[in-house]
Amino acid sequence: MKVALKIWRYDSSTGQRALKEYEIDAPEEATLLDCLDIVKDKRDGSLSYRKSCRMMICGSCGMRMDGAAVLACKTGMYDIAQAGKIPVISAMGNLPIVKDLVVDMASFWEKMRSVEPWLQPGLDAATGKENIVSQAQMATVHKESLCINCGCCVSECNSLESDPDFTGPAALAKAMRFVGDPRDGNAIERLEKLSGQHGIWDCTRCYFCQERCPKGVDPRDAIAKLGAEAMKFGIDSDMGARHAKWFVTSARTTGWLRETELVPKTQGIVKSIKETKFALDLARKGKVPPPFPPHVAKNQKEARLLYKLVKEQGVSGAAGIVQAEKALGRIEFVKEAEHAKHEGASK
Amino acid sequence: MKKVAYYKGCLASLSAKELDSATQALAPKVGLELIELESVTCCGAGDIHEAEPDYYLHINARILAYASAQGVDTLMTVCNVCTLNLRQANWQLKIDSELRARVNENLVAVGAPPYERDVEVRHFLWEIAEGEGYELLQKVAHKGLKGLKIAPFYGCQILRPSKIQGFEDPDRPWSLERIITACGGEPVDYPAKIKCCGFPIIQAREDVALGELIQPIQQAYEAGADCIVTPCPLCHLSLDAWQSKLKKQTGQDFKMPILHLAQLVGVAAGLADSELKFKRHVVSVKPFIEKLGI
Repeated sequence: MKVALKIWRYDSSTGQRALKEYEIDAPEEATLLDCLDIVKDKRDGSLSYRKSCRMMICGSCGMRMDGAAVLACKTGMYDIAQAGKIPVISAMGNLPIVKDLVVDMASFWEKMRSVEPWLQPGLDAATGKENIVSQAQMATVHKESLCINCGCCVSECNSLESDPDFTGPAALAKAMRFVGDPRDGNAIERLEKLSGQHGIWDCTRCYFCQERCPKGVDPRDAIAKLGAEAMKFGIDSDMGARHAKWFVTSARTTGWLRETELVPKTQGIVKSIKETKFALDLARKGKVPPPFPPHVAKNQKEARLLYKLVKEQGVSGAAGIVQAEKALGRIEFVKEAEHAKHEGASK
Repeated sequence: MKKVAYYKGCLASLSAKELDSATQALAPKVGLELIELESVTCCGAGDIHEAEPDYYLHINARILAYASAQGVDTLMTVCNVCTLNLRQANWQLKIDSELRARVNENLVAVGAPPYERDVEVRHFLWEIAEGEGYELLQKVAHKGLKGLKIAPFYGCQILRPSKIQGFEDPDRPWSLERIITACGGEPVDYPAKIKCCGFPIIQAREDVALGELIQPIQQAYEAGADCIVTPCPLCHLSLDAWQSKLKKQTGQDFKMPILHLAQLVGVAAGLADSELKFKRHVVSVKPFIEKLGI
């Protein structure tokens, strides 16, 4: 098949940047990586990109296609070529470009190291026996263990774009890999460190990481697991944690979010007072609903009793998110089955 | 008329009442009969999902249960975050029968109805971007925007995770553009239309949030947009109320009017001032309205 590609070429030593188009013949089963290999072999040997395993496990060939981070070896080109599309290939975002499609991963690895991605055993070694961990315990970190360090999530992270020091989705998912490991003895220290500036509570919940991850790690959910674990252990002094806590308080007391009190509850009284002028500007437009009398939901008592009941049942911390994974991991199959049923019915 | 259970969420009930009034006024014109849910709470935003995930599931199940008890097939939302929370909980409960049994037992124990018959959670945007809603929209809002340039801003959680949302391609969405065109406006294209407005961290990490917020406003401004329209009241609050802080940071005063989706269609469909409630906006909508000559 004929495949056409536009590739952003870049040389950091000269600063030259150009969008070049290539047309090649490729077998129908060709991936984007195969096509780049053909371009390099037959058209321009100076094209630079990373590759190794060609089978979605080494994490080397992260790049962007039409602005979205992908693994080149996972991206089939048949449908794109058949549709006559000419995709634009460029380097990943949020990382400096070295040449063409190769980015400098130094900050990526630095952040990985910062979360100490190794087991810090908390079990008693003196027993002299192996430490057996159940399947259910390991399920807590199953998805996080799938990460191949490709950087596709980091490429698209909106918080990272605004704050380059943000620990970011890949390193935070890696952190959860160890916080949730029953053999690790350092969860609390880890969570305390991760709850500071540039940590868990800097995530803006844009879900780009979740959308792009080629391995189903779901980094945003991993960050939520870290948040839930931190709250479980009472590590909740960060403004982000206090913000989250106020939602819980609101839901179980009045049902609806107590918006006006959210600011002092999150930021503290002193910082809130500094924002008085801003708040008054909003109040003039009716954007600051008076806290009294509180806006209480009908049958609110049920939400309060539910809170008590749920707490007693003890599905706490990350377990509350892990329990969703079984169902959420099957959405595609359910959709397919529903589609097939619908097709069958219409026939 | 399609009967739907209407879940307002916190903002449309309180600080963004203009969204509620515009939605209620517009609904019958686009074939929707809204049954407002009363015995419901906040969906928890992303916050309860993170702080107390099991409680998040239960309060959302309770909302779904009250919607289902109305005998309708659709629970309609007007907020991106409510949509994601409710759809995510709904998928969990639809697929995992053991989990649903435990949740239902808990709901019954506190006196709430169990969530038995499935409902589908759909945002107002989806109701008017296709099908009968769209057909009616074309008639009632035909050419009302007189060629003005409108910047669509989707926000995050109505698009991603697409596995849970799935209405349209999260990288190349079309629904807002289709509605803008049907209302006689000219949709403006810009890269940040699918990115984050910064709202979830605007109180805890204001600087980081403002670094995100400036992108859609600046890009829409540079593309010559007369206003930005969004389907999410949280995006609206951040784009409208925090816009003044960008002036402090960058020295630039964009004065970009921000409209809720129901307001933009409402303007084109000739809703009254008392229903649109533009006076509740922080950034004045006047220049936009004057340009329309109404």
